[in-house]
This record gives sequence, structure tokens and C-alpha cells, in this order.
Amino acid sequence: MIEREIILLGIEDPGSEELDATRTRLRGLFAKGATRRMTQLGLLMGSVLEPMRASGADTVVYASKYGESRALRDYLASFPSASPTLFQTSIHPSAVQQVLVARQQPVREFLPLAGDAQIVAHAAQAALLAPAPSVVFCGGEECIAWSDNDKASSPAAFAFALLLSNGGARGLGTLRLEACDDGAGDLALPAFFAALRGRRPLDRIAAPGMRLILEWR
Amino acid sequence: MPIEAADCRTPFGDARATSAALLGGRRALCPCPVLGPDGGDLVPLALLSARALGETAPPGWLPCLDGLAAGIPQGPWGGPRHPVFMTSSNFGVGSLFAFQRDRDPRHIEYCMPYSMSEVLRQRFGWGSNVTLVSHACVSAHIGLLLASRCLRSGSAERALVFTFDFISPFVTAGFHALKILNAGMPAPYAALPTGSIGLGDGAAFAVLGRPGSGFCLSAQTLHNEMHHFTANDPAGAGFAASLAPVRAAAGGRRVWLKGHGTGTLEAGRLEAEAFARHFPDSPLVSWKGSLGHTLGSCGLVELPLAIEAMRSGRAPGTVGTAPPCFTDNVATEAFSTAGFDGAVIAGNAFGGAHASLLLGHD
Amino acid sequence: MSDPLNSRLKNLIVSTLKLEDVDPASIPDDAPLIGSGLDLDSIDALELVVAVEKEFGVKIASSEESRAALASVSQLAAYIRTHAPSDRSLG
Repeated sequence: MIEREIILLGIEDPGSEELDATRTRLRGLFAKGATRRMTQLGLLMGSVLEPMRASGADTVVYASKYGESRALRDYLASFPSASPTLFQTSIHPSAVQQVLVARQQPVREFLPLAGDAQIVAHAAQAALLAPAPSVVFCGGEECIAWSDNDKASSPAAFAFALLLSNGGARGLGTLRLEACDDGAGDLALPAFFAALRGRRPLDRIAAPGMRLILEWR
Repeated sequence: MPIEAADCRTPFGDARATSAALLGGRRALCPCPVLGPDGGDLVPLALLSARALGETAPPGWLPCLDGLAAGIPQGPWGGPRHPVFMTSSNFGVGSLFAFQRDRDPRHIEYCMPYSMSEVLRQRFGWGSNVTLVSHACVSAHIGLLLASRCLRSGSAERALVFTFDFISPFVTAGFHALKILNAGMPAPYAALPTGSIGLGDGAAFAVLGRPGSGFCLSAQTLHNEMHHFTANDPAGAGFAASLAPVRAAAGGRRVWLKGHGTGTLEAGRLEAEAFARHFPDSPLVSWKGSLGHTLGSCGLVELPLAIEAMRSGRAPGTVGTAPPCFTDNVATEAFSTAGFDGAVIAGNAFGGAHASLLLGHD
Repeated sequence: MSDPLNSRLKNLIVSTLKLEDVDPASIPDDAPLIGSGLDLDSIDALELVVAVEKEFGVKIASSEESRAALASVSQLAAYIRTHAPSDRSLG
């Protein structure tokens, strides 16, 4: 069994908000001019990470199924004169890098995961096995219209961040993984986000051999 | 952490064939149009033989992965206690580019990390305990780290780390737009007025958790500068932060160095200087002047090559590089690994990400 | 009177890099483009290179060459005058 205390929780639930509206709403969180190259996912991650100032000794775990959908789409549209900015921005895990580079905030370990049905369990495992005293476990998606390719974009935008500690302080709740013999299990990001947003408990087999338990005080 | 088995695939073949080619000073890179079938400037690429840069549906490189996967030791991979860590900086992004170009819907199922991994999982008969890691050019290093942690925690008996990166116009055009994939052949660590990388196809696996190869991973470190997307802290602080723990872990052991060395000037100089400071008596090599930069897979593609070098007693030099170099420790020629206790294998990525591991005898 | 090519480049800089609050006329001819008042970095420089290549048909081959060409608006104008195809209007 591996477990950490949830010290802080950040949530962004903008649904189908357009990029320009997100930028207008959140620009105050960033230095002047910093948001002109930021993606919607980067802006949302900046918002949920705002209260969580990782130090150089900390670990950040990031999970996203679709990554930078808009930058991917727009980069492809820039051909044959490929845009270096959009190429750079489209590469996973750009969203969190946008925030941490803007802050000039080094971190010891940055562990970005992709995936779908087991992504939450695997990201939680990476977070709970990290030796750092503080771990930021974050993730999210942005929402764009990508005609004729419904595999490439999330139907809704959202973002979350948990500050997890093994230091003994009591916080908002706990995140725990327990070993089990089950060979099947799943928990995708939207379901995990819904539980965080509503501060609802979770107890389910989230991946083969992994039972994920989320509890709140 | 014991390495049970490891192998790779490059345009030269498996680890043994690739090592022989490197020892012979051969280059897999050759000039290719940056946009593949759509032409463009010529840039150095190393593609699997008989593969064109444009993507087919299904991807033309899948049979290469079949051959690689056939060499993986048997196990209930993807089951509860036999996790798979699949790493790539590209996954199926070449298929995404191909779909955008020709609108053939058959590309769609390969175009995203989650969908490409599902194709491979089913193709190889793996369970769903497959962690996907994607962090640009340190992806494979992170996969090895997560696998090691999983094993140390007791939640797995053995772990498979599987990596692949196949070049497409998506990525060649991007690096060309960044002005680092240029016309010239890469010469890692060479003190030249202009630099260029090359890009190459690569795939590899490692099975960890049981002895078998005679080698082990005895230290793994990460550091992320978050200074700039495409530039390192000019004072070299990131390289220092990454190498200091490995230096400490190496202790009094005599090691040689397999650096990142893509052929860029500034990062190459910082890296060479950092290695010279932390490991002043150790020869430094990079093989990307021959194989090209295999992006997210490079840390694991180059691991079995380093194992082969230790096993055979001879490490390939920095193919494509001639003096003068940034520092005196750059080995441009092959050298004997007799008398070395291990090797440091290092990688860097966008965002100032650094990863290194210490390879030693079991 | 402002050099028309310099003016054209300043407008290109603002539109390409989405500098919403910047008046093109306020960009000095000879101040460094990168790392000074406009807060541009190397990625901005490369984006400008793509825009310049499209607009003027000028090829900049490497990051080292782009750093020299983009030292200032005046430097960039001089580079374009030297390297642009003869059939391109630079007014």
C-alpha cells in the first residue's frame, strides 16, 4: 500500500470555454505578455498550479490523454512553412512546461504520462512512489473543434492539481494505491476529475493489480 | 537494478549489428528531403531500410517492432505484476501528419499515443498494465526510472520498458523550423561555427528485475531546468545538477561516458564541459553522428549498445566528429572498455530536461 | 523618414508574434530584437525567420545565421536586401 496526504487541490472546469476567453480570464495570473504563446491547456495548468510552488527538490507528475490538441492542429495547418512555435508547443508535456518555464522554476523530477483507461492509476503510482517529500500530481485536457478526427481532442476542457505530501501533516484527504489480484481495471481522467471536483470518494480497480482509493476529510 | 535482457533496432539492425557498424565508423544518416514525398531542403536522416519518410496505414515500421518484440523474454506482460512502460516522444504522430495530408481515415487509429499503444498492446498480446511515458528526448530514461521504482517497491516481479520513435515530416519539419536540423551532417562535440542534428529511427526494449545480461542500473537521476523550451541555462547549472548525483554514485569506479551529443553547438559545449568537470578522466562519446537522434527512444536505444561495448571490450568513438572538440575528453575514435567498471548514459530534452543512468556489472 | 522596409518589418513582427499591446512604430530600428524591450526570445526569432522566408523569399540556413540576421530591425532589413531574390519587392 502506498499513500500520500492531499494538502492542496486546484480545479479548473471551463467546459467548452474558447481559448480567447480563457486567456482573458486567467491572464492576471501571469507576467505581462507571458500568455501570448500559451495554449488553453497551459493557461489552465497555470491556474491550478498557482498555489503549488514546487521546489527544485520536488516531483511533478502530469497526465493528459490528448495533450496539446490545438497546437497540434494549428501546427499541421502551418505546413509547408512549419511554425517552430507551434511545433515546440505541440510536444507533450508542453502545458506544464509553459507554466514552469514562465516561473523559471526547476524541478527535480518531471514525469509526464499519456494514456487513457489506466492513466490515472499509472500517474498515481508514479506520484506515490516518488521519493520527494512533496509531489504535485496534475493533469487535464483542452477542448477544440477538430473536424473529422474525433480521436484527437477532448470533448471538454478541465484541469486539476493535487499537492501530495508524505510529511505527516493532515490535509484535505488521502490518495492511496493498494495491490490486488484483479487483472482488469480502469479509471480515465474525466472520471477522476469529476471525483476531485465534487470531493467525492473513489474506491475502484483502476488498472491491473491496482486499487485506487481517494478519501476526503 | 538487474537488466535481464535488452536489445535495439536501428537502420543497421540489432544491437550487435549496430555496434559493429559504429565500430566501423559507418553513418546511418544520409541526406533526405525534409518533407519526405513533398520535397524540401535536404537534411540528415537515418530511416529503416526500405522505409520512406511519409507514413502508410498501417505504419510501415510496425514489422520492425514485431522483430524487436520477438526477442523480449517471455512473460505475462501487461499483467498485474509484469508492467510494461511504453515510451516515445512521437508515438503515432506521423500518422496524424499523414491523415492531415491525405485525409485517409485509416491513419486515425494510429495517430494518438493512447490509440497507438492500444494497437501495439493488442498486436503483442499484452495486458492493459501499460504505462505510457512521453517527455520528449528523455522519455526512455523516465520509463527505466519508473520501472525500477515499481520493482523496488515490490509491486512487480519483472518490468518491460519498450520504446520506439520513427521519424515523420511532422518532426523533421519542426526541427528544421527550429534551425537545428540543417543540411550539414552532425558532428557531436566538435568545435565548429555551425551545428546540425540528424534524426533517426530507433526502437528498443529492456527487461528489468532479474539477472540475465550481466549488467545492472545502479543509479538513475533526473533534473529539469525549466529555464527555456529550447535552451539550457548558459551557466551549465542544469548539467551540473544532473551529473553530481551520478558522480557521487559512481564513487571510485572508473566509468566512460555516453553523452547526449546531438550535434548542436551550445548544448553540446555545455554538456562536454560539464562531463569534463565531473568526470575529468573519462572518455566521452556520442553515437548520434551516425545513428541520428532517435528522440524519446535514445536513452534505451543506446543502452544495449553500451552493454555491447562493455561485453565486447570495445566502445565505438564519436562517429562523424574530428578534432578540435569542445573539450579534450571527447573520444573521436573507438577505445577499449577493459578496465572500466561501467558507463554513464545521459540524455537531455526540451525544457532543459536532463536524465542520466549508471550502467555497471551485475 | 522611416525606411519603408523597416516599417514593413515592424508590422510583420507585431502581427507574427501577436504583440497585441505594441505599436509597430515604437520598435527602434537599431535596438536588439531579442532579449530587450520587446521581451522576445529565440523561439520568437525563429518564428520571425519563417515569416521573413515566406514574405521575402529569403532563406536563413541555421540558428547561428538567424541570430546574426535578427540582431535588430536594421540588421534584418540589410540581410533581406542582400539575400532576397531580385524579383521581390522590398518597399
